[in-house]
Amino acid sequence: MDNPQLSSQVGAKHTVSRRGFLGALTAIAAAAGTAGGWVGRAAATTIKPVARPAAAQMARLLAYYRTRPRWASWLVPELNVNDGWQQWMRTILNSKNLPIAHDNFWRLGTTIAQPHHWAMVIDERRCIGCQACVVACKDENNVPVGVFRTWVDVVETGSMVPDPAGPIVTDAGNFRSEVKRSSMPLICNHCDHPPCVDVCPVKATFKRADGIVMIDYDLCIGCGYCIQACPYNARFFNPIQQTADKCTFCAHRLDRGLLPACVTSCPTHARVFGDRNDPTSEVSVLLATQATTVLKEDLGTDPQVFYIDREQEVYDENSTANTVYPYTANLNSTDYATLSGSTPPPAATGGQG
Amino acid sequence: MPLSPTNYYGSGLEQGYWGLMIVTYPYISGLVAGSFVVATLSQLFGRKRLAPLAPVAAILSFALLLAAPLTIWGDARQPSRVYELITRMHVPWSPMALFLLIWISYVVLMLVELYAVFRADNAARAEWAERPVRAKIAGLLTLGARSRDRRSLRRDERIVRWTAGIGILIAFLFHGYIGFIFGSMKSRALWSSPMMPVIFIVSAIVSGIALVQVAYFGIAKWNGWKIDREIVSELNMWLIGALLFDFYLDMIELLMSGVRAYAPEETYEWFSRLYFHGPLFWTYFLFQLALGVVVPLVALATRRGRASIVNSGVMAVLVLMGVYMMRWNVVAGGQMASKVTNDIVSYPLVWTGYDSVQTVLGVFGVAFLLFLLFAWIFPWKAGFEGTTEPAVTPPAAGPVPTTPATTSPANQPTPVPSTSLMGVLEDGSAPGLLGATRKRDHSGIQ
Repeated sequence: MDNPQLSSQVGAKHTVSRRGFLGALTAIAAAAGTAGGWVGRAAATTIKPVARPAAAQMARLLAYYRTRPRWASWLVPELNVNDGWQQWMRTILNSKNLPIAHDNFWRLGTTIAQPHHWAMVIDERRCIGCQACVVACKDENNVPVGVFRTWVDVVETGSMVPDPAGPIVTDAGNFRSEVKRSSMPLICNHCDHPPCVDVCPVKATFKRADGIVMIDYDLCIGCGYCIQACPYNARFFNPIQQTADKCTFCAHRLDRGLLPACVTSCPTHARVFGDRNDPTSEVSVLLATQATTVLKEDLGTDPQVFYIDREQEVYDENSTANTVYPYTANLNSTDYATLSGSTPPPAATGGQG
Repeated sequence: MPLSPTNYYGSGLEQGYWGLMIVTYPYISGLVAGSFVVATLSQLFGRKRLAPLAPVAAILSFALLLAAPLTIWGDARQPSRVYELITRMHVPWSPMALFLLIWISYVVLMLVELYAVFRADNAARAEWAERPVRAKIAGLLTLGARSRDRRSLRRDERIVRWTAGIGILIAFLFHGYIGFIFGSMKSRALWSSPMMPVIFIVSAIVSGIALVQVAYFGIAKWNGWKIDREIVSELNMWLIGALLFDFYLDMIELLMSGVRAYAPEETYEWFSRLYFHGPLFWTYFLFQLALGVVVPLVALATRRGRASIVNSGVMAVLVLMGVYMMRWNVVAGGQMASKVTNDIVSYPLVWTGYDSVQTVLGVFGVAFLLFLLFAWIFPWKAGFEGTTEPAVTPPAAGPVPTTPATTSPANQPTPVPSTSLMGVLEDGSAPGLLGATRKRDHSGIQ
């Protein structure tokens, strides 16, 4: 061809058609590769449900756990220290390497694998109100004076009945005590949908993929929003480090295969800790066999601390329960001022409202 | 008591974590939004009579806007980590993380608005001011655009109208998000309410109008000007409208929280225990509702009452006090309602130190100093000095002989070709919204 312009056009045409074929091939390969990658990722991260044990096996497990001296346990087999999850350097000291969530917590159950899902069951029938867990927590976590990561409210129900022969002598006459006491251990609920984590403006607090809600103390700006947003008053300002602080389920112990300090120290085995992903763990068995309740269920926070035989709703203003504060009294309150005698007790009324 | 509640951290399980600074934060940001709304009344909604107040309201709004973050910054336990609000911003899930976005956009918008509002006056001052430093500053503030012809004035006017329109949205966002911070907290029965942003915005408008009223009286007294009763009456009319809306919302809140049949159990219990029988009875019913809303509504109901300077001043101060009490009742009341026990959490008033009356006064002092600084920088007296004389005087008649730039004798037209000072055309007509306020042209020269 003489015309250089024409020849270049012809050449261009051939090149274009070849490029189109290669492009299509590349596109198909890329699409297939991407799809394969997603399928593989989904397959890798999908949690395979484990069959629940049969009823007879459940009963055997429960009996086994009931008789087992757990408070002296050192390494707990069910925590499986060999799965790599509890490696100290990967977790508590380097939490950025862990799958964590600052929001959209539904992802933790679907797209992020959960090797464990830690939960606590508190059996109120067994709690004797000895406050050993409170002391153990303070000891273990160096909790400053005046603030608590876990505490035990002592709830008194019933009333003092006027009785001329009653043993309690007051200016208003004699009374006979018709009361019953029960104890109410309280701790961070490590909610599956924690409002405290959502509201943190700087993503300093997070929920680990194994369910533990924690704070990065080096990031916290101390605004107090999470403390206000927690419905259970489980968070507080640490007066020493000047950041928000809270229960960690003793994550540093868990990552080494140990139980939380409050669980280990409980003399009556009222606190039971374990993995909800393991259907044979004591927590799973208790949840499957016992009637349990959670606190403030109507708020939709999905707490992971469950109570067996919670006799009294201590938050109910209209209940006949009266909260007594033996050790962990709320000193900044009108009740404490009344108890300590600095203000006169309120006049008896015919009930509220 | 061995442990005093004045120890801020206390030793109890539950305390009021948000103190006076957080009471003051919505108050100051409400004043920001409210005084901005007063500025837009003339800039956007055509209330020409209030036009002289618009520059003052804009300056007030800007000074308070710059002082507002001091409250939350002072309240944070780790103020040195404030940069994380940019580097680790948790948007949109955390309402508090929106703060910097909204605040920065508000500051930028205010800069644009202040530039446009004062550009012509600054250009005039750059040309005519006697003191060189003022002329220098005014020249810098014009950013080189010193024309004062009809076209540039119209352009300024257009910019002001646009910034006022966008700004009113940002002002509502700025204050509404603070209401949302409280309203979004389902852990607090007395805060968790969808009405919270609306209540905050309306009370912000109320407090902003009252603040501009007080500021007007203050600067008129300071400069020895005669107070224009028409401006006072008109401001009072707007105040009454906002107060009526505020009163309506207060009554709705009272009905939805204080009547057992209508309210959720927890809300009613704490509302009745704190506001009906408890420690907040006086601050709620007397200071917030009676003195803050009802008394001003009654006192400003008549035309004579609205035109009276003393009455208006006292009522404006009462309204400002009532809105502060409303912030106190919301912030303190919400935290006095215990989340996990049966008793009222004590909420001590701290006088000195962290989160105290002292720091609040300091923040207001910073805001006032900023206001003085901006009042010195910006030529805001343009409209006021014109209000003392009704007629449009030719610009050359009065002060021009004092200006060194023109050597023309008195009673001679200025040599400026087509326009005169301050945007008033030579035929005496004002070219528009801004020009209408500047009937006396010498006001830019101070």
